[in-house]
Formats: sequence, structure tokens, C-alpha cells
Amino acid sequence: FQMVVKLGKPTKKEKFLLLLALAGACCLAFIIRLFSVLRFETMIHEYDPYFNYRSTEMMVENGVFSFHNWFDEKSWYPLGRGVGSSVYPGLMWTAGSIYHFLRAFQFKVDVRQVCVFIGPIFSAFSVLATYALTWEVSKGNNGAALFASVFIALVPGYISRSVAGSYDNESIAIFCMILTFALWLRAIRTGSMAAATTAALAYLYMVAAWGGYIFITNLIPLHVLGLILTGRFTHRAYVAYSTYYVIGTLLSMQISFVNFKPTESADHMPALGIFGLIQLITFYNYLKPMVTSEGLRQIIVGGVLGSIGLVLGGAIVTGKIGALSGRLAFFFNSKGAIPIIASVAEHQGTSLAHYYYDLHLLLLLFPLGVYRCFTDLHEGTLFAMMYGITTLYFTRIMVRIVLVLAPAMCVLGGLALSGHYYAFLPNLSAPEEKETSTIEKKKKEIKKAAAEGGYPFKRELAAIAAFIPILVVGSFVSHSIYMAREHYSDPTIVLRAGNGKLYDDFREAYKWISENTEENAKVLSWWDYGYHLSSMANRTVFVDGNTWNNTHISRVGQILASDEKTSYEMMRELDVNYVLVIFGGKIGYPGDDINKFIWMIRIAGSTPTGAHITQKQYMTNYGEYRIDSRAPKKMRNSLMYKMCYHRFGQLMTHPRAPLGYDLSQNQEVGDKDIQFEHLEEAYTTENWIVRVYRVKPPANKFSGK
Amino acid sequence: FCYRVMKLLLLLLAACAAADRVLVLVDNMSIRESHSIFFKSITDRGHSVIFKNADESSLQLIKFGELQFENLILFAPSADEFGGTITAAEIARFVDQGGNVLLAGAGSNVGAAVRDVAADNGFEFADQLIDHVNYDSVLDDGSHTTVVANGKSQLMEAPLIVGDRSKLAPILYSGGSLVASPNNRLRLDVFKAFSTAYSHDPSKPIKDYPSAVGRQAVLVSAVQARNNARLVLTASLHLFSNQFLSATVNKEGDKPTQSGNKALVDALAKWVLKETGVLRVKSVQHHKVGEKQPPREYTIMEEVDYKLEVEELKDKKWVPFSGKDVQLEFVRIDPFVRTTLNNKNGVLSTRFKLPDVYGVYKLLVDYRRVGYTHLLDVQQVSVRPLWHTQYERFIRSAFPYYASSFSMMSSLVVFSFVFLYHKSDPLVAHTKKTN
Repeated sequence: FQMVVKLGKPTKKEKFLLLLALAGACCLAFIIRLFSVLRFETMIHEYDPYFNYRSTEMMVENGVFSFHNWFDEKSWYPLGRGVGSSVYPGLMWTAGSIYHFLRAFQFKVDVRQVCVFIGPIFSAFSVLATYALTWEVSKGNNGAALFASVFIALVPGYISRSVAGSYDNESIAIFCMILTFALWLRAIRTGSMAAATTAALAYLYMVAAWGGYIFITNLIPLHVLGLILTGRFTHRAYVAYSTYYVIGTLLSMQISFVNFKPTESADHMPALGIFGLIQLITFYNYLKPMVTSEGLRQIIVGGVLGSIGLVLGGAIVTGKIGALSGRLAFFFNSKGAIPIIASVAEHQGTSLAHYYYDLHLLLLLFPLGVYRCFTDLHEGTLFAMMYGITTLYFTRIMVRIVLVLAPAMCVLGGLALSGHYYAFLPNLSAPEEKETSTIEKKKKEIKKAAAEGGYPFKRELAAIAAFIPILVVGSFVSHSIYMAREHYSDPTIVLRAGNGKLYDDFREAYKWISENTEENAKVLSWWDYGYHLSSMANRTVFVDGNTWNNTHISRVGQILASDEKTSYEMMRELDVNYVLVIFGGKIGYPGDDINKFIWMIRIAGSTPTGAHITQKQYMTNYGEYRIDSRAPKKMRNSLMYKMCYHRFGQLMTHPRAPLGYDLSQNQEVGDKDIQFEHLEEAYTTENWIVRVYRVKPPANKFSGK
Repeated sequence: FCYRVMKLLLLLLAACAAADRVLVLVDNMSIRESHSIFFKSITDRGHSVIFKNADESSLQLIKFGELQFENLILFAPSADEFGGTITAAEIARFVDQGGNVLLAGAGSNVGAAVRDVAADNGFEFADQLIDHVNYDSVLDDGSHTTVVANGKSQLMEAPLIVGDRSKLAPILYSGGSLVASPNNRLRLDVFKAFSTAYSHDPSKPIKDYPSAVGRQAVLVSAVQARNNARLVLTASLHLFSNQFLSATVNKEGDKPTQSGNKALVDALAKWVLKETGVLRVKSVQHHKVGEKQPPREYTIMEEVDYKLEVEELKDKKWVPFSGKDVQLEFVRIDPFVRTTLNNKNGVLSTRFKLPDVYGVYKLLVDYRRVGYTHLLDVQQVSVRPLWHTQYERFIRSAFPYYASSFSMMSSLVVFSFVFLYHKSDPLVAHTKKTN
């Protein structure tokens, strides 16, 4: 703690301790994310990571250029998907280079293993990046930086997206983001073009890695705007931003998915606007000493403002700046969003409990950190505050943003805690003036202290003050470990019941499909399972998690929501061979398709061809969503209902419940004798979680109907 | 895969055509004699015909999943029950596996077994067909049930099934009629009754509306299942009899002529036994213009050559198909290209440009013509967007922009020089002045 308190340049011994502590934090960050490997196996988790994994495998096999030009004919049948131009390739590049690097040194690793461990590895890097960022924010305060890096290693909000196996864009993007911020602050501090260029390079990596780069694109101009408004805009900031913006934008346009968006979409316009603004301000500052007349000055200002308005107006009228993109618009008007974006679980607002679970202690330290920033306001602290407060606002709308908020919380938490120790620790080591003091003397001292602006029992209070954070941080650590172990290590493709029982139905079904269906069979499922099917079952799918074509998803929704005859015609049109549904009624798995069905109906009804499908038709007269005998006919005739509950009426799910009792909906199924005309059951897994149906060819001859 | 199935199917068909076995089920063996002309023409064309009594206990159509016969002729109108394992359901399975069926009923006393088979395919037997206008004045016994039909107006325009109807002599018909279910969309009403005819029991007075009247009464119906198995149903066993085949037709007001029954039943038998109207794909090729092999994936806007070789079975030999109306479709849900294939001695080919839309397409030939087997060939191909190296490097219309960027770069360099060297001048002047 001596080291933590000490300001200025550390000695050699302290440097060594610092390095040791940092290395410890890195190891901690790595190790805490390995629970999933210990409890399950080295497997890829969730949904999107399967796509990333499949892409990485493709890239490693065929090279970077064929990945860049990859046209995936096995997804979005029959449209296909140009993956290379609709993906953020940073993750695959990273995993691919690690793989080739290790192979070059004769480490016989597997692509899957590299992918699984990307999350923990980059969390360790994040620890270092956070150290750098906090160091910049606090102008060289090693203590705050160290605290922040320990926090980032442990904060559950970050663990949630970076455990081993969670091979997703975010797992590296958070590192890129923190690094970009650190380098940006460095650029603004030094005012050097080289530093700004490194920030731009880090920005490129971020753009390559994740669609969330748009946050950086807007936060940094916001920071510059803040500097301007608070009168802290300097030449250093001018050089840093001009360099960063030009190089960063040019570099980001090299990513084929981003392409010309930085010059066209409204999401990127603030950055361009600020770039223009600082040119004008600098030009104005340059002119100011030369122009003496007050009137002329006003004309210049007026002319400048007028031209800005003209450019903006012209751009909007000609349609060069469109509306905000779907996900970003969602932040400002969550009610008007299209259902496909609203339906995603992680696009819901954050509950207070969730904040507590994901941030814990940092939630308390956050205001303290903001207070610390105010006490010492400069570029760095201004940035930290803006970062923290904007993300805090966005998390209220979208729970996913907690991930972006977490590093801000760590930085501010680090500042708060180190500020706390700066305030109290010097008192702890302050010499006690008189060992044998009488009560009167003590009283005198109190008065004296009060007169000096201090307070009595400095040492004792300091001891307590130094001790309390240790307790609190201790509880934070144990909370994080608990969260990492219990909540964030489940791979979701293997379900774990409360009693520890594992349900491996997903992989069972995908294996069955890959072994028992024709190689170019087309499997229809709701989009959640598209990546699984193409990666694990290696079959052609219609829709997947890359929700680029709303009409196509809506069409799949219409198939699932219509009656069998209508669906069959649509399925014939799309060459569907198999249909897969997820059913949780037997074991009480709440994330099944019956639960998601209401969203499928909404999405089905969101396009002109599906406009005849409305949510009301599938609800009872009282507006309830039911599956029992009170469910409306439309619901009970829908393909989804029939596929989920086929043969279910004869099944006993619970010894005290009637036959056909859905443990997920807690209702008895309404239709116990479901027959198909055009489909037949192909496979149902052990716990009925995955049910696969075969679409029969049209009857060979007259069948009486 | 589709291609493979097609091929298997065609191999099966080929096997059928080459040396196939015909099982004839009869009520009694006398039919063998009374219909010998018809059966002889079948055996003459190379089929091996096996006669069995309909109620023989050892009958079996499918054994260990294999067809025991390729064709089944049911000349047992009064059979209430088939022997052995044969039931209506078994016959349905037989058809689903590619077997062909010729079924003949009668005017009265149609057995339950035969009714079941007809009902399975969407037909019901109506009573005896009576026509008080068109009847044979010599053969008829006064009930006007020996009807004379005119091929030109009552037969369907389907040369492959009924032969050339314009050259057909009047046909003698005696039996019931069929009433078809309107839901059976695969059926072809090959032979319909004349509008003056109706179905009724001739021995009873007419109290109710007749069960079938006029052109609604079907005399011969043909069905081709989706697997190309063929069925011909008729309500008259007499149609095939020696008596009618060799009879002279005498109709009031017309000259007596030789009946056209022989020509009709031969055409029907040829069609149902898959001797005519059978097409097969011999080979299919598609590739970029100037290449030989199909690529793993096509790129948008490429020129593609497509070639399909189709053969037709004629007189037990596969000869090049001569149809000129076969079309190729390039389908991604909707057809993007639809073009008629050029037929050059059985080789159907075309050259077309891929659309400027990427996706997974099907090269689809879906040829359905009355009397022919369904010719279907599906080739799935992917059409990818351009590679990043395939775009135009320099676009002519963008030359002003290139010029502007180069002029910008060069003028920046010039400007920097001017700016840097220009600045020192007033400084020098200033020092000079003070001096």
C-alpha cells in the first residue's frame, strides 16, 4: 500500500512490485474465466460464437483472401450470404494469427482450442490496457491504475462475455476499445501526431472487431466537444483529433463491412461535424488577433454558423445523411424499433438487480470516482466521466451495454479507491505527537485540530478507513468468483438443471442431422439455431443470427405461424427438407420456441406478405398467451404448436400432473391428438428439447383430400 | 442428389421397358380366351404375361420390398376380394413403387375389391351406360347398352395415350361409367361419354336422377402418378374383348365399318405398359462459356452454357427426343431466366447470362406434357458476388475525380514549398529595415 499511495516516479523496488501485481492481475483475469472449461469441456458457447468458429475454420483452411470473398451458400438459402463483406473480421484474424503463430513454433493446437481461449487471453490484455487508460486518466497515478486493473480482471459484467468458449466479437473488442481510449488520451496529452496515429490504428482494430466501434466513433468527438465547451481545447487536442479522425476514418473504411458508412450514415456524422468544427475554431483563433473590429468578428462567426447550417441542411435534403441505423435508433426510441431488434433478449433494458450482479462494488465507487474527477478536472478525468455517464445512460435501454460500461466503472472505481487511500493513508503513518496524553490535552488537541481544519483521532479513523475497503473489495472478489462460476460459465448448448443434471440434447440433435440427412438437405428453424445448424450439423439453413434480411426471417415466421397446408406450400417453394423446433415442455426449459413464438408472430406480421398474421389471433379473448384448451384455433393449428406438441398428449412429464402437462408453460396441452399430413416426425431427442420433422414430398397420387 | 434419384428411377423404367412381367388377374380363365386378341398383341410386343385367378391364395405383388411384377392388369370386375396378400392398399404401394395398373370394371356387379382400388384413385363406378341415340343396331339387345362412340369428339387430344383420334373408327363400348372425384388433379379423362348417354340400371324404371349423365360420365380415365407410374381405369371389360375388337359397327344412319377398338386398346396398353411417352435424361452439363467443367460456384453476370440430352423410348429403343418446347428456368424462388432450349438431335442446349443477383439457384427443367412422363432435372448452383479483384479498377466516368485527387496532391506539395519559402521574405525585409 505504500506504493499505492506514493506519487511521482516509483523506485526500482516499487516498479518490480508493480509489475508483479499487474502480472498477478492478468493471471487472475485469465484463471477466473476457466470455470466453463473445468465444468464442461473446451467447447464453443452460445450462438454467435459458432458462426465465428465456423468462419475461423474456413479462414484457416482457405486463407485470408478467400475468407474475405467468402460467399456462404449454406446459409440464408436461397439468397446466400456474402460473409466476407458482412462480417467484422477482426476476431477471425486474431484467432487465425494466434493459431498460425503457435503452429509455427510447433505447438499442435486445434483451431477450436485457440477460439475457446481467446476470451481469457484478451481479458488479460484488457487488464494491461485498463492500467494504461487509468494511468492516463489520473495523470500517472499508479495506485489508481492498479486498482482499476484488478477491478477489470474481476468485474462480472466483463466476465459474462469473455469466459473460455465465449468466442464472440466482444471478447476482443473490449480490449481494443480500452486500448483506443488509452492511446487517445495519450495523444491528447502529448499532442503528437505519432501518438494520434497509434490511436487510429487501435481504432482500426476495434472497427475490425465489433460493430460497437460506433460508440468510440461518437465518444471521442463528444470528448472533444466537452473540451471545447469547458475551454480546455488546445492545439494538442487539435492535432490529436485531426490526425486521429482522418487516419482512423480512412483505415476504418478498409473494412469491407464498414465501407462508405463513415461518410454516409448518420451514426458517423458527429465525428465529421466535430472535425469540421475544430477546423473552424482553430481558424477563428488564428484570425482573432488580426481582426480588431467587433462587427467584422460577428460577421465571421455568423458566416461560419450559417455555412454549417447550409451544409447540414443540404446533406439532409439530398439524403446523404439517412436516418440512424436500426440498433442505434433503438437507443433513442426503443418503442418504435422493428420487432427483429426488439426481440433479442440482450436488447432489453437493464434491471437494477442486473446492475448489482454485474458491477457490485463498482456501483458504489462510481459516484465517488465522479467526485474525484471533479476535484481534479482535466482532459483525462473529463473523458472518464463522459465515458461513464453516457454508457450508464445507454445501459438503461440495452442490457448488453453493461459490457461497455464495465471498464468505465473500473476506471472510476480505481480513481475512487486510490483517492480514498490518498486521503487517509498519510494519516496512518503520521507520528503520534504525545504518547501519554491526558484528557485535557486531548481536548486541547481536538480544538487545535479543529482550528487547523482537521479532525481528531486522525490515526484511528484512518486505520478504520483503510480497513473497510479491504473488506468490501474482499466481498467483491468472492461475488465475482461466484458469478463467474454459477452464472456465466454455462455454454447454453448444454443445459444444466438446478440439481446438476446435464441436458445435452442440442448436440445430440445436430449430430443426428449431420449423420442421417442428405448432404444438401435444407433445414428450417427459427434464426437462433441457424448458426448451430450450419456449424455443428453442417446443413443448409434459411435464417441465422446474422439478421440481415428481415423479409426472409418474416417468411420463416409465417411458415411457423400458419396452418399446415399454407406452411407446406411455402416450404415447398423454399425447398425445405427438415424443420427443427426447440421444445422445453418436458423438462421445463423456458427458452424454447413456444416462448419465443410470440416474437415469431410479431416478426411474421411485420412485412406486407405476412400482414394477415397478427398477435391478437393467437391470444385468447382476454389477451392471454395460452397453449391449453383455451388457446384459440389459430394457435392450435399453427405449425409451431403442432410440431411442439405432437405426441405430447400421451406423455407424463410430472407424476402429479395430467398427461401432456407442459412444465415450461405450466399448462396442460390443449390438443392431445395432433396429426400431420405433410410432415412426419424424424427425430426427437432424449429430453424432447429438439424435435426434427421431415417434410414429405407431395403425395404420389390421389390421396382423397 | 435429385439427379441420382432421377437416374435410378430411369434405370428402373428402363428395366420395366426391357423385359417386364405383366400379371393379369381374371375372374375366370375364360377371359383369357375371350380377350385373346388383346393379350396376344401384348405378348407380341415382348411382355411376359402371367394369368392368375383373382382369388388365388398365393398371389403376391411385392416380396421383400421388391416388385414381383412391373404391371398389373385387373380384368376381374366381379372380384370381391383378391387372393394372397393383394389388397387395395397393396396395390397403392405397388403404384408408389412404380408399378403400372390397368383396371377394367363392368356395368353391373362390380366387386368390392375392384371398387376399393378405383376409390383409392378417386373414382366410383356408376351403373350401366345407356345411350338411346348412339347404339349398335346389330350387337345391341334392345337395352341400348352397346354404345357406339365417336373417337373424334369423345376422346381426349392425347396421341400418346389414345393414338390418333381423328383416324379412329367408331368405338364400341359396353359397360358402366366412372365418376371422378374433382380433387384428383392427376387424372386425365381420356374417354368421355356422349352427351346423350347416362348411367342407369336398364332393368329398372328411372325414378331418381341417374348417377352419371352425359359428358360427366367418364369411360376411360388415365392417371400418371408423380413417380410416373401409370394407371388406366375403365368401366368396361368388354372394350378389350375379341368380340368388340373384331366387330363391325352398325349404327343407324351410318355405313357399317370395322370397329376402332383394336387401335384404341392397343394405344392404351402401350401407354400404360410404358411403351410410349417415356422420356429420360441421358446427361446434363453446364459450365461457363469456353470451359468444360462446372465451377464450384458461378459469379454473377457470367455467360453459361447449358446442355441437356433427352431420350425417348420408341419401339423399345431409346432415341433422341425431338420436342422443341422444352424450357430451362434459372430459379431462386422465382425464375430469373426462362428460355426455350434449342433441340439439336436430342441435345437441348442454350447459352444465357447469369443475373446480377447472387444466391443459390436451380437450373430447372420441368417438362410436363400430356402422355409423357414427367421430365424433371434440377441442378443446384451457387452464384457468388464478384471477388474484390474482379471489380473495374478504373472507371471512365470517375476520371474527373482521379484528376482532382492528383491535382490536390501535387498542389499541396507546391503550396507547402511556396508557403515555407515565402514566409522568410518579410522576415528578411524586416531585419534589413531595422538595419
